[in-house]
Amino acid sequence: MAKPDQIKDDDLRALIETALANMRQNKPTEAVHTLVSALHRLLELKPELKSEKLEPRPGWKMAFLTRWPQLGANWKAGSLDAEEPEIEYVRENFALSEAITYYEFMLETAIKRDA
Amino acid sequence: MKFGLFYELQLPKPAGQEQWDPDDEKKIYHDMLEQVELADSLGFDYVFEVEHHFLEEYSHSSAPEMVMAALSQRTKNIRLGHGIVLMPPGYNHPARVAERIGALDILSNGRVEFGTGESASEMELGGYRVERGRKKAMWEESTREAANMMVQTPYQGFQGEFFSMPPRNVIPKPLQDPHPPLWVAASRRETTMLAARFGMGSLGFGFETPDELAERTNEYYRIVREECFPIGHAINPALAVLTTFMMGSSDEEALERSANGPAFFSHSLGYYYNPVTGGKHQPGEKNLYDSFLETNRKANTISAKTGFIKEEDIRKDEPKEEVQRALYRAARSGTAVGTVERVNDTLKTYEENNLDVMIFVAQCGDRKHEHIMESIELFGKELLPEYKERHEKNHTKWRAEQLADVDFPINSSI
Repeated sequence: MAKPDQIKDDDLRALIETALANMRQNKPTEAVHTLVSALHRLLELKPELKSEKLEPRPGWKMAFLTRWPQLGANWKAGSLDAEEPEIEYVRENFALSEAITYYEFMLETAIKRDA
Repeated sequence: MKFGLFYELQLPKPAGQEQWDPDDEKKIYHDMLEQVELADSLGFDYVFEVEHHFLEEYSHSSAPEMVMAALSQRTKNIRLGHGIVLMPPGYNHPARVAERIGALDILSNGRVEFGTGESASEMELGGYRVERGRKKAMWEESTREAANMMVQTPYQGFQGEFFSMPPRNVIPKPLQDPHPPLWVAASRRETTMLAARFGMGSLGFGFETPDELAERTNEYYRIVREECFPIGHAINPALAVLTTFMMGSSDEEALERSANGPAFFSHSLGYYYNPVTGGKHQPGEKNLYDSFLETNRKANTISAKTGFIKEEDIRKDEPKEEVQRALYRAARSGTAVGTVERVNDTLKTYEENNLDVMIFVAQCGDRKHEHIMESIELFGKELLPEYKERHEKNHTKWRAEQLADVDFPINSSI
C-alpha cells in the first residue's frame, strides 16, 4: 500500500499530504504546484536521481527524471542535462487528472526511494 | 477471473509489397467477426476493440463503433468493450460519443463497456490537431461530460475549456443505469491509480506481470475504498490486464504459431509511439513488416521469438534448450502461449493475485485466422469452464469484501 505516511522525511511527507488534500478539495492547480515543491525536496534528499538512467530495453537508456509527467509543469528545455534541472509552467491551470498523475508519480517515487 | 479478446486489427503489409492485396482489410474484419462469434458461443465474457487512426499495419481499427454494432447482432452474451474511445474533442465530440454509446447499448441489449482514453502517437495527435500536453485534461473533461449526457434529461449544457454546448437532450439514453461501466486505458501504473481515484476500471495495456499485478490490485482497491472521487455516476471497480495468447497441441506448435505476432506488435508499437520514428512516418509508403523482418534477420533466433531479448541477457538459471527457454520467458512475463497445461499455469498466477479480467491478444502480426480460431476453441472448451466456476465461487466473494464499505453506486459487469 502506497500511502503518504510511509514517507520518512517530514517536509516531503507534509507536501504530499497537502497535495492529496488539495485534490480532495478539487484544487488541482494548487496540488500541482505543491507536487513540484515536493519534487524539489526529493531532489534535495536524493540528488543521485538527477543523473540516474533507466534502461527500459537493452541498449536504450533514458534519464530517470524523464518519467516526470510532461503535463504542463515541464522540464525546461535542455535542463535535464544541467546540474540543476528546472521545472517551468507552460500554463496556469491544471485538471484533476493531471494533478493525480503527478501525485501518483511523486508518491511512488518517494516511497520506492526510501525518502 | 473473467476473460476477453482484444483487437487492434493488425494488418502487416505483404513482404516486399508497397501495398496490401485488395481483400486484406476485408478479411481481417470478417475474420474478427467470426472469432468473436465463436468466443461468444463458448462463454468468453468480453471483447475489447481499440480506436486508432492512421497507424498503418499496427491498427486498422479506426471505426470500432461500426464493428461493435455488427457484433451486437451476431452475438448474444459477450460484452462489447470500447478499448478505448479517443475522448479529446478533436477526435470525437463528447455528445457524439454519448449518442453512439447509447445506441450501441440499446442494440446490444445493455452489453456495452465504455472504455476511454486519449492516445499518444504523433500520427494521431498531429492528424487531428490534438495538443499533446493537454490531452489528459481533454480526456477528463469529455469523459465526465459524456457520462453526464447519458444521465441528464435534458443535458444541462456545458461551458468548458475544450468544448462547449447549449442545453440539449442527448438521445438515445443507454439501457444500463446510470450508464455503461466506465474504463480508462492504463499503460502506466500512475494511470491505474488514476482509474481508482475516478472510480473507473483500469484497462491495463502495459502487459503487467503477475508480480506487478499483486501490488497494483491491493493499491487500486484501497484507493477505490478510501480516496475515490468518481468521474461518472456509478463506479466500475475492475482491473484488466492484456497478455498475448496462442494455444496448441504442443508447446512447440503454440510457439511456432505465436512467434511473429507479439514480436510484430512490439515492433510496430515501438515504431509509432517513438516520437522520432513515429513522427517521421511517411503515410502510405513504408512497409513496416519488411523492416520488422529485417530487424529479425539481424537478431538471433531467441530475439526473433521473444521480441527484444538479446543473447547476452540470457540468465544462467534459464533452460538451455532454445524452445524451452523461450517458453520459460513467455511464462515468466505472463504470456499465455503453450499447451492447455502451460497456459493454465500462467493464468493461475493472475487468478491468485485477484485479477478481474484477463484480455487475450490473439490477433496480431501475421498470425493465421485458423490458428486463432483453434486457440479460442481450445481455451473455451478446456479451461474457461473451470475459471468461470472459481470466479463465481471465490472471486465474487473477494470483491464483495473489497467493496463492502464503498458508498458509491456500482455498475460493473465483473
